[in-house]
Amino acid sequence: MELLELFRPLISADNKFIREWKRRNKPVLGYACSYTPEEIIYAGGILPIRVLGSLEPPKLADIYLPVNVCSFAKSCLDRALKEEYSLLDGYVVSNSCDNQNKIYDLWRHCTAIPRTYFINTPHSITENALKFFCKELERFKEWLMKSFKTEISEENLKNAIETFNENRRLLRQLYELRKPNPPFVSGSEALEIVLSSMMIPKNEHNKLLHELLDGIERREDLPKEGERLLVSGTVMSNSKILRLIESVGGCVVADDLCTGSRYFWDLVKENGEPMTTITERYLRKIPCPFMNSSEERFKHVREMVKLFDVEGVLIFSLKSCDVYSFDAPLLAEELRENEGLPVLCLEWEHSLSGIAQLRTRIEAFIEMLEE
Amino acid sequence: MSERRLETLKGFYRNYVKPFYEMAHKAKEEGKLVAWVASTFPVEILLAMGIIPVWPENYASLCAARRVSVPLCELAERRGFSKDICSYARCVLGSLFDGEDLPEGGIPKPDILVASTCACDTHLKWFQVASRIFKKPLLLLDVPYNVESASRENLPNHYLQHYVSQLEDLVSLLEKHSGIRLDEDRLRKTLELSNRTSELWLKIQNNRKNIPAPMGAREAFSAVYFMLCIPGTEQAVDFYERLCDELVQRVKQGAGVAENEKYRLVWDNLPLWFDLRIFQYLEKLGAVVVAETFSHVWAGSLDSSKPYESLARKHLSNMANCTIERRIELIASLVKNFRANGVILPTNWGCRMMTIGETIVKKKIREMTGISSLILDVDSTDWRNYNEYRVKTKLETFLKTLE
Repeated sequence: MELLELFRPLISADNKFIREWKRRNKPVLGYACSYTPEEIIYAGGILPIRVLGSLEPPKLADIYLPVNVCSFAKSCLDRALKEEYSLLDGYVVSNSCDNQNKIYDLWRHCTAIPRTYFINTPHSITENALKFFCKELERFKEWLMKSFKTEISEENLKNAIETFNENRRLLRQLYELRKPNPPFVSGSEALEIVLSSMMIPKNEHNKLLHELLDGIERREDLPKEGERLLVSGTVMSNSKILRLIESVGGCVVADDLCTGSRYFWDLVKENGEPMTTITERYLRKIPCPFMNSSEERFKHVREMVKLFDVEGVLIFSLKSCDVYSFDAPLLAEELRENEGLPVLCLEWEHSLSGIAQLRTRIEAFIEMLEE
Repeated sequence: MSERRLETLKGFYRNYVKPFYEMAHKAKEEGKLVAWVASTFPVEILLAMGIIPVWPENYASLCAARRVSVPLCELAERRGFSKDICSYARCVLGSLFDGEDLPEGGIPKPDILVASTCACDTHLKWFQVASRIFKKPLLLLDVPYNVESASRENLPNHYLQHYVSQLEDLVSLLEKHSGIRLDEDRLRKTLELSNRTSELWLKIQNNRKNIPAPMGAREAFSAVYFMLCIPGTEQAVDFYERLCDELVQRVKQGAGVAENEKYRLVWDNLPLWFDLRIFQYLEKLGAVVVAETFSHVWAGSLDSSKPYESLARKHLSNMANCTIERRIELIASLVKNFRANGVILPTNWGCRMMTIGETIVKKKIREMTGISSLILDVDSTDWRNYNEYRVKTKLETFLKTLE
């Protein structure tokens, strides 16, 4: 389907929407983590885009970093060092993990990024944490207004919330289309669509999604039927790994990824004081593994398994990702023992090296499922 | 060499560490509340409540020194825990999957687990796993990252408030679980003892400014045990008083830990617990470690009239909770104050905090002090990738460049 081809080129820090935004002299802010409250940025007339890595060897970052470091965070730094993010007017990090926090030092010391900001995201969900996070987001708002000489009014925040929630609802509709067998959209297509939503103005993305959703059920080139899989992990910067799975007969119908369902699943409450509702949404969203609430994330995975009629789970542990690596054996055990599901645990680098081995293991797993 | 060893530290393990584990096991049997504690958690609270703190991190280093950490790590790896995560965590989790022949009979089982996010993600995640295994609650201090590397006097108010209000809630929860009330007087006394421990510890360190230095890293990495694990106790104060006295004597006699002191080194991060002899090897080459960042991050005075706030100030400004500037500042000041002429920057395979940024530290230290640093890619408890010959050659070559 032609419309589906439109999304992939948008997963680039140099897409036509960003260029157009910059042409109008409006600032673009890169962010590192799905806990960054984009609505606040967007409400100030600033375009938030997700800083993603690539699967290319991180030649420049390797000068500064050894191998035992998250290859995703390393790759993001590498792209900044290669000036692939030179259009950014700033970079925002959230207190998500040691890899990001410590590599933030290198962003400040070694790249040409004009300004950086760090949001102290709590790791627990308590009344204290909500109060603290709200204060942190107020400070972030102040910083945005001062740095970019802009106003962030309550009305703008409310509008941003509406636009972002619309996007989330549309993405959930898109995920609904993965329930039938075969699904109307493949896992790689869905991931590309979600990733692209992080890279262009949300109102533009909404238009594209409306158009897509209007016609998708008449699609003739449906994805192939196959073993229905859920992919769990941290981050995937592009669809190459999911394409690999699809190429060996897997059908990815659901995910637990920070660049997938965890990004958009929860909505911001639309009635209420916007800074409060934004704080609530971002702290209470489906947790990433750095939070003190892995059980909640596991619950989300189990729900996805049921909703999407999943037959097997692939767990992708990014090497040197501490937070996910501790969870991985627990999640695997829970899915095997409580849900009776076949699970394949994979360690991978956010790069093309080792891809042949991944392919072999995934292929064997799918063959096992087919028997 | 034996006369160069410090009298106070002889039989350290047998006299202090082993009895501590025996006491903890016995306390557990007697039904006392045992808490697993991660470093950077304000242990003074537990000590004041009579809750027995046990330290999985200490246990991992002990297992490494006894050369059993790797088989334990392997047990955890067989359960699916990645080889790339902290070897302390792997070692301790491994010890839970095997009940037999563990040093000191293993770590006493916890009734409760307490951790803080101050030093690393690993503390949180590792303790989450342990909490799930033991089906015991994990109480977490969720500490804001000190992203401006603010000193303890200049911390943002909302960081302090967040820490203090969590600590208040945590104390209520501890009271609920233990049935013991936190006595304010006892807390004050514990903090005063902790201060005294800290003062003595810094005094001990200051003695190492002398040329020749009377104490090296091997001794420091043992003796730091009190500062780290049980700072608010009479035993800690007593031990440090004796150690301090001995060092003062040594300095008077002009006795150095190395026979022929030629190089003075600052050591960052952790030692190789499984090969502490490396320090003696260095001393034979005339190289003495005169300061460790590790020995300088745990000390710090507490205001016993504002217990929670001063604990908050101490831990929020801990180097591990700060950006790279704090590490650079500390190492540079150690180089200057301890008259060092070289810095060793050992990384730690499963530790991002000890691995990321060492290249910047090296560059900045050179700019600020003119002193060179050596980055050593090692792991503190997992020796599988350790090549003794290579590490020694690197160290020797490095020392030659300092001449």
